Order: sequence, then structure tokens, then C-alpha cells
Amino acid sequence: MFRYILKRIIILIPTLLATSLLIFWAMDLAGGDPVDQILPENATFEQKAALREEMGLNDPFFIRYFRYIGGILKGDMGESYITHRDVFQTFMGRLHMTLLLGGSALIFACIISIPLGIYTALHQNTWKDTAAMIVALFGVSMPNFWLGLMLILLFSLKLGWLPSGGTGGFKYLILPAVTVGLGLAALLTRTTRSAMLDVLRQDYMTTAKAKGASRNRVIYNHGLRNAIIPIITAIGMQFSYVMTGSALAETVFGWPGIGRLVVDSINKRDTPMVTGSIILCCVLMAVINLAVDIIYAFCDPRIKAQYSGKG
Amino acid sequence: MENVLEVKDLVVRFDTDDGIVRAINGISFSIGKERTLGLVGETGAGKTTTALSILNLVPDPPGVISNGSIILDGKEILEMSEKELEHMRGNDVAMIFQDPMTALNPVMTVGDQIAESVMLHEKISKEDAMTRAKEMLEMVGISGSRATDYPHQLSGGMKQRVVIAIALACHPSLLIADEPTTALDVTIQAQVLALIKELIDKNQMSMLMITHDLGVVAEVCDDVAVMYAGRIVEIGTADEVFNHTLHPYTEGLFDSLPNLRQRGEDLVPIKGLMPDPMHLPEGCSFNPRCPYATEECQKKLPELKLVNGTHYVACGRYAEPQFRIRRNPDGK
Amino acid sequence: MKLFNKKKSDGTEMIGRSMGQETWRRLKKNKGAMMGIAFLILLFIGTALASIFYDYDKDIIGMTRDRFMAPSWQHLFGTDNMGRDIFARVIYGAKYSLFISFGSTLIGLIVGLFLGAAAGYYGGLVDNIIMRLTDIFYSIPYIMIAVVVVSILGTSMSSLLFAMALGTFCNFARIGRASVMTVRDMEFVEAGRAIGLPTWKIILKHILPNCLSAIIVQTTLKVGSNIISASSLSFLGVGITPPTPEWGAMLSDGRSYIRSSGWMCLFPGLAIMLTVLALNLLGDGLRDAMDPKLKR
Repeated sequence: MFRYILKRIIILIPTLLATSLLIFWAMDLAGGDPVDQILPENATFEQKAALREEMGLNDPFFIRYFRYIGGILKGDMGESYITHRDVFQTFMGRLHMTLLLGGSALIFACIISIPLGIYTALHQNTWKDTAAMIVALFGVSMPNFWLGLMLILLFSLKLGWLPSGGTGGFKYLILPAVTVGLGLAALLTRTTRSAMLDVLRQDYMTTAKAKGASRNRVIYNHGLRNAIIPIITAIGMQFSYVMTGSALAETVFGWPGIGRLVVDSINKRDTPMVTGSIILCCVLMAVINLAVDIIYAFCDPRIKAQYSGKG
Repeated sequence: MENVLEVKDLVVRFDTDDGIVRAINGISFSIGKERTLGLVGETGAGKTTTALSILNLVPDPPGVISNGSIILDGKEILEMSEKELEHMRGNDVAMIFQDPMTALNPVMTVGDQIAESVMLHEKISKEDAMTRAKEMLEMVGISGSRATDYPHQLSGGMKQRVVIAIALACHPSLLIADEPTTALDVTIQAQVLALIKELIDKNQMSMLMITHDLGVVAEVCDDVAVMYAGRIVEIGTADEVFNHTLHPYTEGLFDSLPNLRQRGEDLVPIKGLMPDPMHLPEGCSFNPRCPYATEECQKKLPELKLVNGTHYVACGRYAEPQFRIRRNPDGK
Repeated sequence: MKLFNKKKSDGTEMIGRSMGQETWRRLKKNKGAMMGIAFLILLFIGTALASIFYDYDKDIIGMTRDRFMAPSWQHLFGTDNMGRDIFARVIYGAKYSLFISFGSTLIGLIVGLFLGAAAGYYGGLVDNIIMRLTDIFYSIPYIMIAVVVVSILGTSMSSLLFAMALGTFCNFARIGRASVMTVRDMEFVEAGRAIGLPTWKIILKHILPNCLSAIIVQTTLKVGSNIISASSLSFLGVGITPPTPEWGAMLSDGRSYIRSSGWMCLFPGLAIMLTVLALNLLGDGLRDAMDPKLKR
């Protein structure tokens, strides 16, 4: 198992290098002249040239890239052109807000979707199943930022139960988390249902019944243990959805997370902030994906055995 | 003679979107104590459905057991409560499935899967159940140390041995073996068959052996029932059915077998295909393929009639006293 | 299981009908899919008529000067902060959402399938490079991709199209690769190679038809999710920007007035949801109709 994790981390490094190179190159194309943004408009040509030399902007592309990567390893990704605050610090200072929002949304989605998916699979083709599936289909068809707006309209403006934005206690988390979580719940309900239906058809379910196992035991001990594997895969694949959803919900609810940071920076043409945030987002996604794969390997003995040196 | 199992007039159908599939259309048979009945027929004849009916495990929906009775040791299975059924399954009747590749749960160790069967029916600790599981593995010829293996780590033959170990873990009085060797290599087939036979004898069990392979029947069965399109067309002792064949379909099955001793001889396949169980032909289901069929056969469904001793046949032509099939010119 | 063989009885009647006809026959029975098709056709006709018969700048903007009017018979969806009729804007704006989502899906489809097929067919290093690249684009949220593209190209229809295609191609690359891998070693492909067919002909004639149903289903669903993506990007200000009546941009406008004029947020979003719902219904229906084995 340790070898598997190590191997995955080693594969991760070239992928991240390629990703960062791609982003750095793209942003380099896009950046315009940072000197114009930093210096006041009436700066002289000499002043500009001096700053350019000082920032190393005249160096060849790859030298600048490797200098940048070297900086990342030290936690130094330059500073914002606009606020002059450290990019890495700013990102990390906002990260926990996005993790809180995304994490709550994910937990909310799992609590709803997994039981509902199992229930609908067990009652396939009944009116309850059909009704739940129609609701889920509406859920996956809805843009979640719009859902956020509608929730504000209903719960903040009409009913006045919950704040329409900002941060504070748990109350402030509810609407953003539901906004991100509902679409996710709809998606995962569909996945859970079809994974469960798939498992219910398997021969080993008949074997378990023929042993004399009760209905519940067959469903939960044999069925769910197998169905959980595709469900975990589906959850793993939705992290980029959670990230996107968080960025949108952060905009709708004024939630100070990294999605908001990226969108604000792009609107202000703050290149170091955009480059840094996007690269760090990719690192974050890669680490999350790695974690999912490891959990996945623990749940599926077929993968686990492949790497434990046995069988 | 006391019967372990008595099936009477069993009718099972599947109500599907495309129509009603008539899988079993009134079959009756019984299995005596410590005897083995072979249920023979082509794929789709209703053999597996028969087996699942005995455990009351016909998938519902779409399956409906619409008529008949299945009596196990004097108790009606079709009237049992869910609790009684759970107690019966695995404990009184156990089943070996056709495809060992899919019959085992891929995410549980084989030891756990055997131990589960024991723990469901006996008040026993987890450790003791595991010890029993290891003993069972040894009994079917696998080292007890492999109890912690997952199914994907075992070969096909070994998986089928595990399936057998699961089935026998609680010493059931009746074992249903649904084509237990079909999915295996020929050499492994013989080993597994020998193992089943040995364990049946040792544990004094009765068995329903479902197969399409007449060689298997000759090897292990005391009695034989031949099934066609959801009906039993001939039933009797192995000697009666093999040596005094009466039904044209049974004859067809024998003619389809290659004979290693007379290699020059042509095979005589049964012409045509099994009828679609959604649209069974009028009269005798076998009449479109039967070389002996008359117009009468297209109209009247033949009933199973006693011919001799314990030998029954369902063929309308035997209404004519002089009717004989090729294989059995004596008619006895 | 054997039970299954028995139930599948229409095997004989299927012969003689093409796959397309058979799919259509099954699809017709699916009420949801038919509702989806009807809605999409109405939307297409509506937006086409609106574009042909009305000049957006003159007719739709200049229709009325009454601002912030609640929905009424005169203005079905109400009017917005500039006094524009929201119903007219939604219908007129449908073409942007439809064009961008269909366009980006189509580009992603062609590029993705080509790359995927090449990766699956050649294997080895080619496969590795292409699929790692695909993995990178797959793991980056599309918003991030769009942000980078927009910083290079600026906000415009074409940069949005390009960004969305980048987020789409990886799905199709995976489908293309998987289906090429499954049929690559099959005998009919071997046979094609044995009689000297060029590689591209083998891919085109033998391999593509085998993954056609997966592609059609995935395309339908992807067009739907790209409508959401496009409107999300416009909402964030990195897609199509106001005053173009793109649905996401309209929502972005409406957000400022949500306290007083909720309908400005309600209707463009409903339009997105119903369009995507129609596409999802159609996609699910197509999946069931093309592969009845998978029906659940």
C-alpha cells in the first residue's frame, strides 16, 4: 500500500510540472507588460527598463519559469500588482473558506444522495422512484448560481430566515452550502441509484440470499459494499464540480474564498495573483484526486491486492 | 420411500414489458432421501428457474409463481414466512451456482463468505466460524490459509470449490447444483464433479443436479428428469431413461452426443431451435422439431403418463400401442 | 443470467431494420425524451424567428421605456433595469447559449475523438502524452481554464467557445480511446489491416460506428452541461458580457436588482434550466433507446 501511494506521488510530480508550465506559459502570453501596471502612468522609459531588468523580465522564458518554480518550493509566488500582498499568503488565507464551503456542500450532498439513491434503486419503477428521479433530473439541469439566487429570493428576501451573504456563524454557511450541495446531491443520487441497480442484478447477491441472509443483510453487507466503489469514484470525479460550484456560490453570496479571489484578480488583471491561484488550485485538485484514489484502493481489494505484493 | 422434496404442478411465469414469458408450465417431481435427481435440458428450458423456485428466490418482479406446491421435509415452501425462508435457505437447502466467476462477492474474503453462511444459521463466535470456514476449505481441497484471499486471487476451479464449501457449510439435507461444471475447463470439471459426488455420499445428502450434459447425469444421478420448454417430458431412474428411452426429445439429446468409440458415425442434431417461451407452439411444445410428430401432436398437449415401474413420458404418440422410437425398439 | 436470454425475444424482428430506425422506434415511446425534443424544437424556431423578424437594437431595446415592471400580460416576464422586455430578451438570447454550447461541444467532439482515437490506436508514447494532457484538462475546473483563456484573448464569443471546447474535448478523448482500445484487436479490424486498408480508413469505417451510440449520448448531455458552463462564465464576467442578452449575463445584471425585481433573476435561469432539462431528458432517452441492455 505504501508503495502504491509513493508511486502515485511520483507520477504526480511531472503532471504538476506540466500543468504549471502550461499555465505559466499561457499567462505569460496574456500578461501584458506588468511594468505598466506597477509604475505610475507618468514613469519614464528608463524607470520602466530598470524595473524590467530588476524583475528579471528580460530573461528567457525557461529561466523565468524555473525561477518561478524555485520560488513555489519556498512558498514564494511573488506579490500582487494591485495590493502588493504575497500571493501564496493570500491564497492560503482564503483556502479554508473554500474548503469549509466545499466540504459542507459535499457532506450535505452525501447525506441526502446515498440513502435516496439506495431507496430509489430498491423501489425501482414505483411512483416514489419516478418522483425522486424527476426531482434529481431538475437538480442536475439547474445552474447552481441561479439556485443560489432563488434561495436568496426565498429564504432571505421573502421569508427573512437566513442572511443573503457575508460570513459569520453557521447561519451564513447554510445557503451557500445548499446551493453547491443540491446539484451535487442530484448527481450523486443518480449515480448511487444506478450503481445499486447494477449490483442488485449480480449473481453474488443471489448467492447471499441462497445462504439465508436477510434482505437487509444482502442489501447492505453485500450490495452496498460493492456499490460504494463506483459511488466513491463518482464523488472523486465531482471535486472539480465542487470547486466550480464554490467559485460561483462565493460570487453570489460574497463568500471570501479562492474562487472569488481568482475571479476578482482576473477582472483587475492581477497576473501574478491569477497565475499563482490557478497553479495552487491545480495542486489542490491533484492532492484531492490522489486522496480519493487511495481511499478507493482501500475499498476495493482488487486494487489493493495489486499493490500489496500479494496475489 | 420418504421424499426430501416434492414439487407438484409448479407454474412460473415472468411478466415483462415485452410480454409474458412462460418459463415453467406445470412440472412435478420428487427427490428421495440420499438420492440424486438429474434435471436435463437445453439452455432456456426452465431449469434454473426450477432451482430458484425451490429456494423461493425467483426474482419478483418480474417472476410470479402462479401455481403449484413445493414441499420440503413436509413443509410448504411457498407458504413460508420470510423468517422461515431465511432459516431454510442455506441450512436445509443450499445451492451451487453455474458461474463461480460471478457467484462470489468480489469485496469479501472467501473465508468471510463461508463463515457468514455458518454464522447465519448457528450461534457461534466469529473466530469459531472462521475455523469452520478453514475446515470447509480443507474439505474441498483448498489450503485453509487461503481463507484470507479474495475471489480474484483464486482460479476458476478453486472458486467453484469455495462455492461448494459455502453451500455445504451448514450440512443441508438437499443440495441444488445448477450446472456446477459448465463454466470450468474439462479437466477441472471432472475433479469438481468427483468432489461433489464424494461429499454428497459422505454427508448423506440428496441432490438436484441441473445440467445439459448427459455425461454428468450418467456419472452422478440416480434419477433423471428431462425438461423441454418448461415441462418435464420424461422422468424415471437413470437406467430407465438411458437404456429404455421413450421420448423423441430424449432420443434427440442422445443422438446429439459424439460417440468416441464410433468416430465414423454421423451426429444427428435435433433440427430447429427451442421455441420462444413467450410464444409456445400449440399442442406438444416439441412438435415442430419432432421427427415423429403427427397432426394430432399440433393440437393436443400430451400429459405425463406412467409407462413402466417409475418411468413416465409425455408423448401423444404412445396413445398408439405399437408406437416405438428408433433408440428403443422394444418400448420397454 | 439465463433468465435474461428468455426475456430478450425481439432478437429476430430487429433484423432488417437499421439501428437508427430501431432507436427512433424506442425513443418515440419515451415521453420525457419526446417532451425534450418538442421543447428544443420550439426554442430553435422561437429564437430563429426572433432573429429574422426583429432587429435587436431597434425593436427589443426600444420597445418600452417602463423600467422594472413586474410580469404582466403585456410583459410576460416583466421588464429590466433599462426597460427591456425580458421575455423578448430570453427568446432572442437563446441563440447565444445554443450556439456556444453546440459549437464548443462540436469542436471538443472532433478534436477529442481524433486525439483519443490516435492515442488508442498507436498506444505507447503517443497514448501516454495525449492521455496525460487530457488528464490535466480533466482535473482543472473549467472555470480556471476559461479564466486563463480569457486573460489571453479577452472576453469575446470566440474565446468563450475556445475555453469551453478545451473543457469538453477530454470527455470525448476518453470515449474515443476506450472504444478504439476495445475494437482494436478484434478480428474484423485485423482483417481490415490484412487486406491493406489504410489506418485512417480502418478508424473511420470500423471503429467510429462502434462508439457512435456513446458519442451521441455524451454529446447530448455535454451540450446541456455546456449551456450551464457558458452561462456560469458569463455570470462571473468572463464569458459574454452585457448588454448582449446571453442568459448568464442577464442573470449577472439581475443580481444587482434582486431585492426589488426578483423576476429579472427568475426567468433567464428558468430558461437555462428548462433547456438543459430538455437535453438531459433527450440524452437519457437516447441512452435507453440505443442500448436497451442498460435500461434501468
